[in-house]
Amino acid sequence: MQGIAALQPYVISLFLLWAALLKLLDRRMRAQAGQTALAGLVGPARAVPALRLVGVLELAVAAALLLPPPSAAEGVAAAALSAGFLGYLAYAHRVAPTSSCGCLGAHSRPVDRRGFVRAGLLLAMSLVAIGAEPYPMDPSLVALGLAEAVVLLGLSAELDRHWLTPLRRLRVRLRRPLAPPSPGEVPLEVTLRLLYLSPAYCSASALLTSDVQDTWDEDGLRFVAYGAGRRTAVFAAPLAGGDPSAVRVALTEVPALT
Amino acid sequence: MTRSQPTDPPIDLLAAVQGEVSWFCCGTAWGPCSSTGKGACGTCNSGSLQHAWPNTSDACWSITRPDSCGVSLSRRTCGFQHRITSLCGGGSVVTSIADCGPQTDLFCGERSCCGSTCASNRLIDLTPAAYSRIASLSTGLRPCEISTP
Amino acid sequence: MTSRRQLLKSALLGGGAGVVAATALGSLGPEAAFGAAAPDVAPGAPDPDFAEGRIRSVKENTLLVLGSNMVFHRIRIVDGTSLWKLGPTTFDQAKPGDGLYARGVRMPDGVLAAEAVWLNIVNIKGHVRNITAERIHLDHKGQQVLCHRVPGKSVAIYSDAPPSGDLSLLRVGQHVQVMGAWRPDTNEVDIATVFSAH
Repeated sequence: MQGIAALQPYVISLFLLWAALLKLLDRRMRAQAGQTALAGLVGPARAVPALRLVGVLELAVAAALLLPPPSAAEGVAAAALSAGFLGYLAYAHRVAPTSSCGCLGAHSRPVDRRGFVRAGLLLAMSLVAIGAEPYPMDPSLVALGLAEAVVLLGLSAELDRHWLTPLRRLRVRLRRPLAPPSPGEVPLEVTLRLLYLSPAYCSASALLTSDVQDTWDEDGLRFVAYGAGRRTAVFAAPLAGGDPSAVRVALTEVPALT
Repeated sequence: MTRSQPTDPPIDLLAAVQGEVSWFCCGTAWGPCSSTGKGACGTCNSGSLQHAWPNTSDACWSITRPDSCGVSLSRRTCGFQHRITSLCGGGSVVTSIADCGPQTDLFCGERSCCGSTCASNRLIDLTPAAYSRIASLSTGLRPCEISTP
Repeated sequence: MTSRRQLLKSALLGGGAGVVAATALGSLGPEAAFGAAAPDVAPGAPDPDFAEGRIRSVKENTLLVLGSNMVFHRIRIVDGTSLWKLGPTTFDQAKPGDGLYARGVRMPDGVLAAEAVWLNIVNIKGHVRNITAERIHLDHKGQQVLCHRVPGKSVAIYSDAPPSGDLSLLRVGQHVQVMGAWRPDTNEVDIATVFSAH
């Protein structure tokens, strides 16, 4: 247990160091400060200074944790910071549910469950760190530290684009979850999109007063009827091929659908 | 710092501009719209003749970033009126700004055509009431011309 | 229905009786381009010829709809009203609980005589978070919306390429626009069209 307590300051400090450097140095993150929940809390004009202040606080706590000797006060400071994060997330979730967190880099995703778990884990680690005393590191502790870091990174939605998105892309490439359509099947939307591209539709669209009233396939053509006031506009588009200029149109006195 | 304005003169300053028009719902209505609320201006309703504009404020511009698609647009604030004319058929509607959008930068270079007339980049989003005056809602996206009435 | 279709077909292909304007190939002439001008409505104001809300009840040919602004609308389905629910559909598919947008003509008694009714139609933009069996997980303003591919109905438009029923070119991480039909009281949507810029 002593070893686990002694390990926590290193993991927490590295995490805080990363968060602080992003807040202080990442231009994109500062540019998006106005869209974070922090802007809602302190006002848009004070969002960037507030972001910098949090960065300085994180940097100070990280430095105190890293530099010997370990003390309970450092753990308490880290715990207070983590509790502050949790409180901020709760505020963001409640008051600005569509705003992003502004925690670890620029992204537009609002606060979610993973953010709360990450802050909760940091708080738990900080509480454990309060009892830290000098203790020699061994391979098993290093492995545990790495595992904790991986969990913290895995809970960081800000990093998803670096590992989760490529992983999901690979899975989609291998499994092909969206099956190709059956050959010969022409969805109505395909015909309608061809229609929208056609000079025939362009010339008649000002007359159309309804959406599609009726559609049917006959002789290799797809017929589509629209209301045009008391009249009916009927289009015919070839089922095969994609040439918009092959679309025909007629405006008829045939009454509306009955 | 956020670049609040592009350096080039806005393309809509002296003449009408062509781009893509889509529609969005607002006003705490049904479906995925329930969380949208009344938009950046606090007045947006799906049933009113309104639109979203990509440059209503610095904060809005930093989200929509039409400049990343090479388009600079004038700053126009809540209530400003635009005439949106369909490039397909010529129907038009005059609407007022009620929200910030669309996110032009996410669809850079996208093109919509009608006959031989095409327009690129998403420059405006209409409410369903406004969009359905110039096109069917089921078209989803159309080329248009944006001017001042 | 069949005789009406035959009439329309002959009008288009054979220049049958009752044709106002037709083309053998191509577009109508400018003389045909007239339409009833929509009444003037102040920009920013509610459009009286438009209604939005959820269906509370269906009686004969009338939909009773509660708007999100808590105003009731009576929407009459008349001959020639088009109905959309992931594509053209029939009146019996309009169910209580469905969301709708309707455009038509407001009658003196306050009823909206509908020219077009779109049931549950949504048009949302978002970030593709994941793709699983026949589903796209869309992040729309921080909300996860599950978008279902419907075989024979769903199509994708990849910028300039012709529309296709093949959605397999969509990628995790890209931004798309999904036009489709909401499944009432869920965060799920059936896809009609996915617009992808790339």
